[in-house]
Amino acid sequence: MHDKLITLKEITKVFRVGEENFTALNGINLQIESGAFMSFVGPSGSGKTTLLNLIGGLDVPTTGDIFFKHTKLSSMNRIQMAKYRRENIGFIFQTYNLLPVYSVYENVLFPLLLNGSKEKDARERVMNIVSKVGLSDQIKKKPSQLSGGQCQRVAIARALVKDPLLILADEPTANLDSKNSLQILELMSDLNEQYKAAVVFSTHDEKVTRYVRREVGLEDGEIISDKQ
Amino acid sequence: MNWSIAKKNFSRQGLRASLNVLVTALSIIALIFMLSLLNGFQAQATRNVINTDIGGGHYRAPGFDILSPSKWEDYTVKVPDTLLRLHNKDKAEVLVVQGQLYPNRRLYPVQIRGISMEQSLLQLPLDNLKTFSANFDDLIPVVVGAKMAKKAHLHKGDTLTLKWRDRSGAVDAKDIIIIDVGDILNPRVDEGVVWLRLDHLRLMTDRKNEVSWVAVKHYIGLISEFEFQPVEFLMSDLLALWRQDRMNSKILWAILMTLVCISVFNTQMLNIFKRQKEIGTLMALGMDSQRIVRIFTLEGCLAAIWALVVALLLGLPFFIWFQGVGFDVSHLSESTLPIRETIYPDYQPMEIIYSLIIVFILIVASSWFPVKKITRLDPTMALRGRAIK
Repeated sequence: MHDKLITLKEITKVFRVGEENFTALNGINLQIESGAFMSFVGPSGSGKTTLLNLIGGLDVPTTGDIFFKHTKLSSMNRIQMAKYRRENIGFIFQTYNLLPVYSVYENVLFPLLLNGSKEKDARERVMNIVSKVGLSDQIKKKPSQLSGGQCQRVAIARALVKDPLLILADEPTANLDSKNSLQILELMSDLNEQYKAAVVFSTHDEKVTRYVRREVGLEDGEIISDKQ
Repeated sequence: MNWSIAKKNFSRQGLRASLNVLVTALSIIALIFMLSLLNGFQAQATRNVINTDIGGGHYRAPGFDILSPSKWEDYTVKVPDTLLRLHNKDKAEVLVVQGQLYPNRRLYPVQIRGISMEQSLLQLPLDNLKTFSANFDDLIPVVVGAKMAKKAHLHKGDTLTLKWRDRSGAVDAKDIIIIDVGDILNPRVDEGVVWLRLDHLRLMTDRKNEVSWVAVKHYIGLISEFEFQPVEFLMSDLLALWRQDRMNSKILWAILMTLVCISVFNTQMLNIFKRQKEIGTLMALGMDSQRIVRIFTLEGCLAAIWALVVALLLGLPFFIWFQGVGFDVSHLSESTLPIRETIYPDYQPMEIIYSLIIVFILIVASSWFPVKKITRLDPTMALRGRAIK
């Protein structure tokens, strides 16, 4: 029996687009257990990324409540929200979002430094995780010197290095070819087993759905299916 | 940690950061150069007026007003012992009377200035008056300035008629010979002025031992027969002009400063604009807004520090070199400003320090402001690169 990590209650998110309101999410109720390996699937505009952003504390819902364990996210101020992200959430973005002037090593090290670790204490952990994603020989390279697949591996290592409870991956395979996509999914599946961090994908890539243990279907901002 | 992140970010930005630093450094150099050149110009012009006319102030005959030529002859007094006792390097006795010159049969009103030949307080090119040995009864030796000579078409060796009034009011006239055309830096003692030996002018006007004023090196206290007019009074029009000039230069300084600010702000905005996603990523990684603002502001500080260092490295040799060669303003010879030489910048440390502090603050503020704006928005906007447009 897994603990409830995230609970969403009657979540609505409305964006102002020009003169009109656009409802991105409408009445979402959902629970995510720790150690989950799941995905939000749906077409563009279905609300997948918005849902990930709300869970990750990057955005706030218009109505409804999000709980991390038993803490209500809406009760947090900006500093507490940053702490929540820093300590509990690992993000993987479609466009990798690596820090361009940093090397692979420095990119992976960065979240640990943010959490207050000293570099000499964190070095071994960084090297270990970089080796797990198969980039030990690329450690000194900058993101601009890496392929898309390699960049996404760095992003995975960066998300995992601080040992978060939840990893949110927004279309992580969208910019990769089939071979790289499968490698990334294999890697994330292995790491989920190994590190026990819950992983939530947003995707419309069918390959992803083959790997996840739970698939939540979204359409027009509403949950239309929830398959275990 | 903030400092090391900022240092790393800044040092690895490469060309973008270097160009930012270079543009700012050049702007700083231009700013200092402009201010110092203006200082130099004003200082030299002031020095020229003091060296050629004012000295440390004038003991003037009470009532004498240089702007009322028709009354010059009415205000002359004998030099008292107190002033007579002064060393010749500390005083210059001057007698001024009104006159008319007739170059090429034209009437040319002039100021006839007789100056003691022994004085060495004022630096005037009048040495030839001392040594000229023609008979005073035949021709009066005079020196005119280059401007005056040009305007009245006079040349060295020309003889022409000079008319003046003597002590009793009778009009006298006599031929003069221009024994020299002097290069006088101060147009006030050049244009319309005919220089004579004081003893000659006293003889001509029957004013034995009389002067219109005595220029002194320093104020030596009250003298009952004279009223003392200090440098500030005698140069009041020029000082007013300098004040106006300073005001204009402040406007110019403000314009230059605004340009520096816009340039820096524009570069920083572009920099921040291009790094919106990076800022969003930092927020997603859990860095709080204040820390992001601090890091980017520190980067701005680094840019400012480097700009100051580069300004120093590029500017110092340039300023030293320029101090040697100066800025040729011989084209100003036609102007009425008391300067007609090479201007050397006058670097005022406090003025430079204030300017540098302001530039520094501007750079830091222009780093702080856009980041502050981004971090107030949702991280999702920054991640999408839409926080600032």
